[in-house]
Parts: sequence; C-alpha cells; structure tokens
Amino acid sequence: MLSKSNLEEIQALDKNRNIIRSKTGGWRVGEGVYSHGYSMLDELVGKKSYFQIMILNATGKLVERNLADWIEAIYGCLSWPDPRIWCNQIGALAGESKTTAAAATTAGILAADSKMYGSYPVIEGATFIQSALKQFNNGLSVKDIIDNNIKSNRGKLKIMGYARPIANGDERIEAMERVTQELGFDKGSHLTLAYEIEEEIKQRFNDGMNINGYVTAFLSDHKFSAHEAYQLFSTLVASGVTACYLETLHKPSDSFLPLRCDDIEYNGVEPRSIE
Amino acid sequence: MSKHTREKAQSRNEAFSKKVATRIWKENPCDDNPYITESALCHGYDLYELMEKCSFSDMFYLLFKGELPKPCESKLLETLMIALINPGPRHPATRAAMNAGIGKTMPVHILPIAMSILGGDYLGGGEIEPAMRFLRKQQKNDPALVAKTLLDDYDNGNSIAPGFGKRFGGIDVMSQHIIERLLLLSGNKPSLEWGQQFATALHSNSMGWLTTGVAAAVFCDLGFQPKAGGVLFQLLSAPGLVAHGLELNNKPITAMPYISDEDYVIEK
Repeated sequence: MLSKSNLEEIQALDKNRNIIRSKTGGWRVGEGVYSHGYSMLDELVGKKSYFQIMILNATGKLVERNLADWIEAIYGCLSWPDPRIWCNQIGALAGESKTTAAAATTAGILAADSKMYGSYPVIEGATFIQSALKQFNNGLSVKDIIDNNIKSNRGKLKIMGYARPIANGDERIEAMERVTQELGFDKGSHLTLAYEIEEEIKQRFNDGMNINGYVTAFLSDHKFSAHEAYQLFSTLVASGVTACYLETLHKPSDSFLPLRCDDIEYNGVEPRSIE
Repeated sequence: MSKHTREKAQSRNEAFSKKVATRIWKENPCDDNPYITESALCHGYDLYELMEKCSFSDMFYLLFKGELPKPCESKLLETLMIALINPGPRHPATRAAMNAGIGKTMPVHILPIAMSILGGDYLGGGEIEPAMRFLRKQQKNDPALVAKTLLDDYDNGNSIAPGFGKRFGGIDVMSQHIIERLLLLSGNKPSLEWGQQFATALHSNSMGWLTTGVAAAVFCDLGFQPKAGGVLFQLLSAPGLVAHGLELNNKPITAMPYISDEDYVIEK
C-alpha cells in the first residue's frame, strides 16, 4: 500500500532532521546560556530572582521583581503540608512506598493537574474573568453575567474562582490582599470586577471568591493570558507534597492510614466460578 | 487599595464516606490478622481460579468491564494488545523513555515519564476519548458523506477527525494494515467497519486511520467507556516504551545522538 504522501511535506520534514531551531534559547558551550534573548549567566543569575527567571521561562516575559515576588507568595498559599489534600496524600503514600523525593513530588504535581483543584483550573478561572470583563465593558451587569452562567449550567452557579471544596471562604485571599498592598499594586479592572462578582454571589448564594478567582483576576490585570497564568503554576503544589512525603518516609512502612481488608467496602457481584 | 471585609473560612462539614467502596476487588482477610489477605476476588471471581483458567487479556477485560470476555472479544483485545504493544522508537513517548534511559534515570521512573508523554492529545491517550466519541456519534451517518463534509472544511494539519488523519504528509500505512487484520476476526465490529469505510474515503486525500483511531474503534466495539480509552491506550503501549528505555539504560550517553552546537540554532 502506498501512503500517497505529499513530496513537499516530506521535504519540509527533512529540513528539520538533526537540527533544532529555538526561539527560546539554549546553551552554547564556552559561550553562554540564553533565555528569550537574555544571557542567563550575565544578565539574570544573581541579578534577577529565581521567580523572575522562572516566569521568563514559563511565559517569555521578564517581569518586575515585585510581580515575581507576588507570584512567589501564591506558591506559599498553595503548597500546604497537609496530607488530607489529594495531591499531598499522594506524596504521603509515596513516602509510605519509599519512593524517591522526585517521584513523590512529581506524582503530586501531576495530581494537581486536575479539573477540580490545583493548577489546571487557573485556565478556566482566567478565561472566565477575562471574558466577564469584556461582557461587562459591553454593557452587561454583574447580575447578568451570573444569571447567564446559571442558565448555561442547568440552573446551577458554576464559576471557576468562586466557592471551594471542603470550606466556605478562603483565608488565602486575605493573606494575598496583604501581599498585594505591601508590594504596592493597585486594583485593576479584572480584580475590581472579581470583587463585584463575589459580592453578588455572597448576597445570593452565601459563597465567596476563592484563591483561583483572586489570582486569575490579578494576573489578568497584569496582561497574562489564561494559558500563561497556568504555565506559571505547573509546580504549584510541589513543596507541600514533598513535606508530606518526608513525613511518611521516615515512619515505619504500613503506618500511614493502615487499612484492614474490611476497611474497603466491596459492593460488587457475589463470589462466582468460571463456567 | 480599599480593604475588603472577609469572613473566616468555615468547614462545609460535607458528609464524607466512612469507607472507600469498590465493585472491582474484594480482599478476604486471613483468620488471625485482619490486614493480611488470604484470597481475593475480581468482580466475584477468585484470583486463584483466574490464574489457572484465564489469559492475561481475559483478566484485563474482566478488570475494566466486570465480566469475562466472549472468545471473539478476547481475541480482538489480545490482537489489539499485540498491535499496540510498542509505538516504536520514533514515537515522542518512546523517545522520552529513551532519553530517560540514556540519562541514567532510575529504571522505575522510565514508565511514569513515558506515560506522561503518551497522555498527550497528539498520537496519545488524550486523543482516544474524542476519537471514541466521534466514532459513537457518527456511526449512524454515511461514512463517505461524513468524510466529504470534513474534507470540505479541512484546511491543513495532521488530523481530519480524532483518530484519523495523516502522518508525515501521508496515509499511516501500518495502521491500515493493522485494521485489515482486525477486520478479519470474528464478532460484531461496527466501529471498526464504519471507521474503515470512513478511512477509505479519506485515502485520496492522503489520510486514513491513525493508531489512536484504531485503538478507539476497538475499545468502542468492546464496549469500553470513552473516559477509559486514553488510559487503556497508555497501558497497552507501555511495554514497548519501557523496553526501549531499558535498552539504553546501560549504554554510554554517546549511544544517542546529541545535536551539535552548529545544528542548534538560536533564532532571534
């Protein structure tokens, strides 16, 4: 059988064999290392913070130190050493299984690439507030924006960035509001709208904004796209996972939440034989 | 900046289950220690009996479907398992495994590394669920007509529909050969048959089945749920990825190409 291939496409593929063309950067032995046009060892290392360099690698943007510090503070808000949180429990189970720290931490990071919590919902949160601001600027009221969301979700309010599993209210916002103020940031149009949406939700549903809503609105004010915002946070939960891993690593095996056979409820079919 | 009043966070006091429940597996404790398993049931079948009487593919099917397969289903799954066992040394996931291997990454990390890459939306598990949904939705329609409609809207790119398209500018010939062999097997295979007609209608445009489409069609015909498809695809392809990674694990770093500085172009 023939593949009926287009010769031009094969030639285009051949042009990329054994060659890498990078717009991002790379290492030139004996010359230097480059990231987005900066010489890393001359212009970045020791002169910019790790988070400034991380943000540069994640988005291509070299941001001011105070914005990098703000993003670093978020990492502190979302990396807790509590093994009841799903990604952290994976870290604890990794310790129980005596994996390496890197395996434990990457497993927890992957777990937080979830549609419910962690880093992945940043895309949905930022998409919402950026779209909501456009609608607001086009004349829709906050009430209209919320009502439209309810209509499109079969009568239920479902906005990423508002409400939260386990608890009502989010103490992390207060901590970040303090950081925002201390670092000298003003409230932009996305964050202003986010607060107005929160007020409406509070009054009608007795629920509030969560840290996702706050972060995505703030970052939208600083011109990050939804995907750029997500890219900033791919390792967001890492240190909390590592902490939970270490706790169980140093305890005897089988001691983390041990389960008796009957601690698992079996609700499958009754015992049977192969015919 | 104005201060917003914020109430203290309060627990929702949700009613969490006291125990986790499963329909898949039951472990029976031994008489003198409730933690030690004496025997286990998989969907009601004793594991020791399954060990004696079942093939690995039967057991695989039972685990995910809850019932043992009919002989034709067992044969179809086993044939697919062989077909997918190795995406080959040029697949991005295999190349990731090889990089882990040559980089002396701990061998136990090779599989999770490669699996992460094999979860992608291009040639990976991420493409299986949409491909299964496409096949399930379109099966009631004329495949030639569906192909024509999609081709009319086609601009460029490798994919015309999830699981179908071209590789390297042409038809993915090996996927077509695999399908021909799967179609020879007995049993009801509506997705494979519909997909084959659809793929044939694409051939004149240098497109056809992709490996992901092949897997998706078989999973549909075996009655697996679309949500499970991506993970099943990862499982079936895992052995080949690991084999390639391990093959390089004991070799010097010079055993793999390393692009020279001359061939590494930093564009402004």
